[in-house]
Amino acid sequence: MASTALRPALRQILAASPASRTLTSAALPAFRSQKLLARQSPLALQRAAFQTSSKRAILPPLPQTIRGTINDAATVPDTEPSHGSYHWTMERLVSLSLVPITIAPFAAGSLSPVLDGAFISLLIIHSYVGFQSCITDYFPNWRVPFWRKFFDWANFAFVGIVAWGWYEFETNDVGLTEGVRRVWKAGSKVDVTA
Amino acid sequence: MLSQRFAQQTLRRLAVQQPAYRFVAPAAIATRNAFVSQRRLAATQHISEADASNEILAKQRLHRPVAPHLAIYRPQITWYLSALNRVTGVMLSGGLYAFGAAYLVAPYIGLHLESAVIAAAFAKWPAILQVLTKFFVAMPFTFHSFNGLRFLSWDTASLINNKQVNQTGWAVVGLSTVAAVALAFL
Amino acid sequence: MALRLATRRLALAQQAPKVFRRGMATPTASDTLAHTKGEPLSTISEATSASRAPIPPSKTTTIKEPETDPQAKIKTFHIYRWNPDEPTSKPKMQSYTLDLNKTGPMMLDALIRIKNEVDPTLTFRRSCREGICGSCAMNIDGVNTLACLCRIPTETAKESRIYPLPHTYVVKDLVPDLTQFYKQYKSIKPYLQRDTPPPDGRENRQSKADRRKLDGLYECILCACCSTSCPSYWWNSEEYLGPAVLLQSYRWIADSRDEKTAARKDALNNSMSLYRCHTILNCSRTCPKGLNPALAIAEIKKSMAFSS
Repeated sequence: MASTALRPALRQILAASPASRTLTSAALPAFRSQKLLARQSPLALQRAAFQTSSKRAILPPLPQTIRGTINDAATVPDTEPSHGSYHWTMERLVSLSLVPITIAPFAAGSLSPVLDGAFISLLIIHSYVGFQSCITDYFPNWRVPFWRKFFDWANFAFVGIVAWGWYEFETNDVGLTEGVRRVWKAGSKVDVTA
Repeated sequence: MLSQRFAQQTLRRLAVQQPAYRFVAPAAIATRNAFVSQRRLAATQHISEADASNEILAKQRLHRPVAPHLAIYRPQITWYLSALNRVTGVMLSGGLYAFGAAYLVAPYIGLHLESAVIAAAFAKWPAILQVLTKFFVAMPFTFHSFNGLRFLSWDTASLINNKQVNQTGWAVVGLSTVAAVALAFL
Repeated sequence: MALRLATRRLALAQQAPKVFRRGMATPTASDTLAHTKGEPLSTISEATSASRAPIPPSKTTTIKEPETDPQAKIKTFHIYRWNPDEPTSKPKMQSYTLDLNKTGPMMLDALIRIKNEVDPTLTFRRSCREGICGSCAMNIDGVNTLACLCRIPTETAKESRIYPLPHTYVVKDLVPDLTQFYKQYKSIKPYLQRDTPPPDGRENRQSKADRRKLDGLYECILCACCSTSCPSYWWNSEEYLGPAVLLQSYRWIADSRDEKTAARKDALNNSMSLYRCHTILNCSRTCPKGLNPALAIAEIKKSMAFSS
């Protein structure tokens, strides 16, 4: 009883040091109750220490901190329609216009170069917004400001690179829809003969 | 938690102390001595409310674990299809980006990405591999397309109750699988 | 302070008469260091972000109900435990067995019975036991719900798992810290805002049709089940308001008597507050009151589509 009642207090003191977990289990065995130590094999202790050091969580949540007092309201961000409502509406319009242009090649075989170019452009904008949404979700500005900026710029830069690449493909080759059709049909030809 | 513990302690303390009164003579109660035993001997110190919330609570918060989430939440069609929508979207966009960027640098690193070359290379693959490849390319495309329609309908605030979400969800799974199989054998 | 508490408790335990010395079925201390290797669930949760995944029930002891009879319907409950008095210890899954014949029909009954008769150290919030206070919101068998409205599945072969609300900071055992949730609720100004006095000088009247628009919105009890079921809210609870708060925001946007509708919409018009909602729809799926936060959010987005 004595040891179990005292341990929380001791632990709290020890917890002040950042590496408390490994310290309590490995470096400061004298502070732990004898009964507890006797029950654990040295292997288990080693393993526990190894496990704590090898854990790699992807962006684990930070220790809890509360900004302001508990009675303050959470801060309301500035109004930015270009990142809010306009952005949302633009994305819906892009998605909506992708619907007919995606169905068209299935109905008509392939698209004219102009339509094909429009299709590619819409796809790239759609991809850009999609990637951006992932970045905003998983790399919060307050948490990883550098990587947020890095990925945002990389996303932006890739739009240029990819658009250029597809422009080359559209002008020098047969275009996206016709290209996909050609490869798809190339497969089925063998399918029939084999 | 704390209040409960305090309540328990008070109960215990009462249980400990009350019998003691029985042995105290009534005359003794009248004197000061009897009341001394009632006084708390533990030293207490007063801190302002602001300090308390800033220090003790803030320190406690730093140690709090985060409750498990992804690993324990029940697999449901709502969030599974939503996650799949994002995954398939990233796959398709990734493919689009990879080909676009690769086509740009292909001439400089001796890669041939002309559609005729790719088609000829693909034609040489074994039939089963072709069908499988087509299926695994077509499946994300059909799923993302059909599921995208679902998302667009929700943005107009329609088809957005539990029953309809369930029905359209399974419809999309079925439809996209059938469409992908059909495309694979096209 | 901690030391003082501990010593006082120690002193009391020695003095206390036998009746008050409860046989506390505290789990053995060796559980706290058990490794979690080979447990698929805990490995996933560790990889995906829980800073400290709970020790699985297979590595902890089971606390059994004292006496059993041959007719007993024994069901096992695995319950998430974490004690703030031992801040460096890992959370763990503690197993309890209960005879369903002696337990009420709801999960809350089981929890109360465990606390009263098996393990008084188990900690959870509860108040009304009829689904109107929202205190006992927790994750039961993988779904967020109110323990008082959740029936115990009668098949005894299936073991029940009870966790705190997902991705919340745990105060103790099943008690989550909802400070951020309440701060966000406060930030949407959940009260009637008017500049003009009521036309008749007495009350702000509303047509029946306008009143009907608030049905399905005002019933929300802010139990946080929906917000903590939302993956978007898991990753961005600092800035994204979450379904419950957005439902309440819409409750005031939709109110015909409120005169600050534009300001309310402006407050949501940024990339984080509202638009982290990707219509995942876990919120509507899990709401123990049968409300539809997803629809409310869709209505907000729709009404804001062309507004600056």
